[in-house]
Amino acid sequence: MTSILIALVSLLVIVSLVQITRVSELLAELKNEDVNDVSDADNNYQGVLTLVIGFGFIAFVIWQMYEWNHLLLPPAASVHGMEIDALMRVSMGLILVVFFALTPLLFFFTYKYRGNKSRKAYFFAHNNKLEVIWTVVPTVVLTALIIYGLRTWDRAMNVDVSDSTIIEVYSKQFGWTARSAGEDNKLGKSNFRLVDNTNVLGVDMEDPNAADDKVLREVHLVVGKPVLLKFRSQDVIHSAFLPHFRVQMNCVPGLSTQFGFTPTKTTKEMKEQEGEDFDYILLCNKICGSAHYNMQMTFIVETQEEYDAWIASKKTLSQKLLTQK
Amino acid sequence: MNITNKAIKQLLWAGQASIGMFFAGLTSAYIVRKAEGNWLEFAIPDWFYYSTATIIVSSALLFYAKRKIKQNINPANFILATFLLGIIFTVFQIFGWNTLTSQGIFLTGEGSNAAGSFLYVLTLAHLIHLLAGLIALLYSSISSVKGKYNSENHLGLDLTSTYWHFLGLLWIYLFIFLKYV
Amino acid sequence: MADHHKETFITKYIFSQDHKMIAKQFLITGMFMALVGMLMSAIFRVQLANPGESSILYSLLPGSWVNEAGALNPDKYLALVTMHGTILVFWVLTAGLSGTFANFLIPLQIGARDMASGFLNMISYWLFFIATVILIASIYVQGGPASSGWTIYPPLSALPQAIPGSGTGMTLWLLSITIFVAGSLIGGLNYIVTVLNLRTKGMSMRRMPLTVWALLVTAILGVLSFPVLLSCGLLLLFDRSFGTSFYLSDIIVNGEMLHNIGGSPILFEHLFWFLGHPEVYIILLPALGIVSEVISVNSRKPIFGYTAMVGAILVIAFLSFIVWGHHMFMTGMNPFLGSVFTFTTLLIAIPSAVKVFNWLATLWRANIRFTPAMLFAIGTVSAFITGGLTGLILGDSALDINVHDTYFVVGHFHIVMGLSAIYGMYAGVYHWFPKMYGKMMNKNLGYLHFWGTFICAYGVFFPMHFLGLAGLPRRYYTNSAFPMFDGLTDINSIITFFALAGAVIQAIFIFNFIYSIFKGTKASQNPWKANTLEWTTPVERIHGNWPGELPVVERWAYDYSKPGQEKDYALQTEPMQKGEEEH
Repeated sequence: MTSILIALVSLLVIVSLVQITRVSELLAELKNEDVNDVSDADNNYQGVLTLVIGFGFIAFVIWQMYEWNHLLLPPAASVHGMEIDALMRVSMGLILVVFFALTPLLFFFTYKYRGNKSRKAYFFAHNNKLEVIWTVVPTVVLTALIIYGLRTWDRAMNVDVSDSTIIEVYSKQFGWTARSAGEDNKLGKSNFRLVDNTNVLGVDMEDPNAADDKVLREVHLVVGKPVLLKFRSQDVIHSAFLPHFRVQMNCVPGLSTQFGFTPTKTTKEMKEQEGEDFDYILLCNKICGSAHYNMQMTFIVETQEEYDAWIASKKTLSQKLLTQK
Repeated sequence: MNITNKAIKQLLWAGQASIGMFFAGLTSAYIVRKAEGNWLEFAIPDWFYYSTATIIVSSALLFYAKRKIKQNINPANFILATFLLGIIFTVFQIFGWNTLTSQGIFLTGEGSNAAGSFLYVLTLAHLIHLLAGLIALLYSSISSVKGKYNSENHLGLDLTSTYWHFLGLLWIYLFIFLKYV
Repeated sequence: MADHHKETFITKYIFSQDHKMIAKQFLITGMFMALVGMLMSAIFRVQLANPGESSILYSLLPGSWVNEAGALNPDKYLALVTMHGTILVFWVLTAGLSGTFANFLIPLQIGARDMASGFLNMISYWLFFIATVILIASIYVQGGPASSGWTIYPPLSALPQAIPGSGTGMTLWLLSITIFVAGSLIGGLNYIVTVLNLRTKGMSMRRMPLTVWALLVTAILGVLSFPVLLSCGLLLLFDRSFGTSFYLSDIIVNGEMLHNIGGSPILFEHLFWFLGHPEVYIILLPALGIVSEVISVNSRKPIFGYTAMVGAILVIAFLSFIVWGHHMFMTGMNPFLGSVFTFTTLLIAIPSAVKVFNWLATLWRANIRFTPAMLFAIGTVSAFITGGLTGLILGDSALDINVHDTYFVVGHFHIVMGLSAIYGMYAGVYHWFPKMYGKMMNKNLGYLHFWGTFICAYGVFFPMHFLGLAGLPRRYYTNSAFPMFDGLTDINSIITFFALAGAVIQAIFIFNFIYSIFKGTKASQNPWKANTLEWTTPVERIHGNWPGELPVVERWAYDYSKPGQEKDYALQTEPMQKGEEEH
């Protein structure tokens, strides 16, 4: 029934549009005008509209910044993350300056130079000096930005991981599993052919490093201690996204990727800052199938004592898989 | 409508540039994959050496055919000979694949390795483009037999030979690439 | 001398070799696909605003796509975004934009009777048509169409066990794209060779309109980059159907352990984005070329800095080949490589900025005539500023860590492609409609269409930057699974509202387009008082374009309001006066 109604209404709208258009054309014919000729009145009206709506757009942007600023991610909770946030502020500042300079200029020009038949445009075909200026200035500014950006990138990527606690994050359709490297801080070797119902990560128990590894459903980190996350995938490309730490890394089947960082705020501190509902969260950020939107794992950042107590309660792989082989 | 011969030849050259990029994509994929290890090393079958020689000779014959038509002599025999050598090239390629499978190097399946897969894909892709060349040679042979070419106008032969030489050069590139990279 | 062969209905409208008719075939097919793609986006936007609920719009979908409660299935949500992306990137903005305007404008603007090979040109359209049929058919196969994103990364796109759309749907997608690329390449070859060889007497490269420059460079980009998509797709085909391991390794999917060893999905990404990045410039450059033309004609001023504009097009095209890695910053690539790509990506901002400044300088002290085409051209400039600037954030690898694959990217590429390029396409249609159909489009409906679209489009895509900075990933069926995104529901509702309103407003354009073809007021020969050669052809359009001799070009395309000129324009065929200097 509703579809019939919608069809009828659409038909009515189309017929009305046809009639309106025909009427305006006939009226123009009566007045001996070309209905589609752009008159001075049209130019005036449209020119004013570009100013009004153009500036309305700018106002809309400002409104959004004001209204939704509080929804953005809280300040970074990692060392490199704070540097990234600083770079982001500078970059955003730059693009906002350019945006708020050029956009009003555009709409001001379209208003100011709205045409009329009594005027003539100014024939100005080129000016080499101007071209040089507006090539060199962006080049200089962008070079500075690039250098800043590359230094931040280098510091985020080439972190000293010699002292980092190693944790493996394993992705599959549709969930995350983590593995602590244990006391020796060495992950046991793994092979996808060893994956089964008990050995969900395919760890090679022949490797002596594997004995003290622990499989975890939640990751706990010690505040201020560097951690190196190592990523694997069981099936398709996933991406480990930890927005609060400014960490993201693809998890690719057949490859191993990693990201090292140092958390700076405990979960407790964040809860005080952002509200009781806050938790550090790991999301999947690369399309991976139907439940791509619901792959989550909690990360908890705590003190060394809290961490020691927690990890002690978890079984090692040799304990869990003792019955095997 | 004014289509100049120059424009048609340029169409072919632009098309060859595209085909070249296609093979550039495949060979760069080869390089990236090889760098990751787990790469089986094996010798190129002898048949590919023979096919390389064959295609070089076939190009020489076609080159000679063009010389002939510029002197207004009907080159049909040479074009046909090129066509036959093209068939022989195809046969040698297939023999080459047979050698590989008898050595246990397969395109796909449990025992296959990327090195083998790439070789099959590259040679197969080349062969498919060569099929178009064979059709062009056949068409040109027939045109030539029918006396359609003369010293002034032999666009069809020009196009066929440009494409055939391109296929030959492409094969030489692939051969050297597979042998030394 | 015009062609004298007899035209039947079939040779005139269906298997035409006339570039003008082929252009219109591309346009109509592109418009149809745009509607399909837009409808898909309306549907998935409804899901995002009202997650898990049923909607009347879902009745447009195959029945198996909704569950018993009437809600959209999550994997079919992914099918919709995949097909939306595929259709809009390839079918609408590549074939629909280049196919239409390269075909229509190149021979007319360079003074040629037709393309170098009308036959190949016809083939290029019919291959496109066949590809279209196959793609549409893929929607109705059992597992659904391709659902791994328009970027079809393996292993997801290689394994039907991973998502149903990666079965037959994906095979048909690959088949369709292969035929599409073949058609595109054949078209591109024609465009290049025509521009290089068939320019009329006096039409040097430096006198060509910027539109032709843009279309030429675009065609070269296509000829060099599309084949790599084919090699990429060929290896994927082998992995999917013949069990090779180019991209696959160490996989257990749906409980099944696969035999593949040694392959790398990252190899796919390199090959894919080697096309993927030039592709977005293949989309953008023709739109920018059209905009330069429309702005100049309607400002009654030469385009400022013609040489710099040509240079900018060439530099953008060259750089577009060496930035592809910025789509791959998060793949674990060597950080040094990431730095190289950041460097080249930010470089591309420079010629882009030069173009914007040149357009602004063209508008300065102009005498602007606001046709609907001009409004859309101005819209393109605005969107190019907005969208281009956010590219500086995304191109910076360190900043990309937090915005990669979030709605920030979605906002960015929609503003540069969905706004800039689509507005450019609209500008082209409104501007050249009189030449295509001999009729005028209704001006007031055009104004309504523009303002409605401009407002709604920014309403849809600007808020997305905030969603992205809040951490919301793209290609998410819903954000209700994560409490951290609960505050974003209102933004999603606003976006969907503008999306639906914007979609409805396009009906004004469709109506205007169809109405004007049949009942529009008859156009004069040169309604915009423009200089370029297409406006010297008769309104009725004939095979061979000019009834008598081909025009001879005496000046460049931009003598508008030149001092000493009586009128405020001078056709390119008008001889130079004594003592008059060329630009």
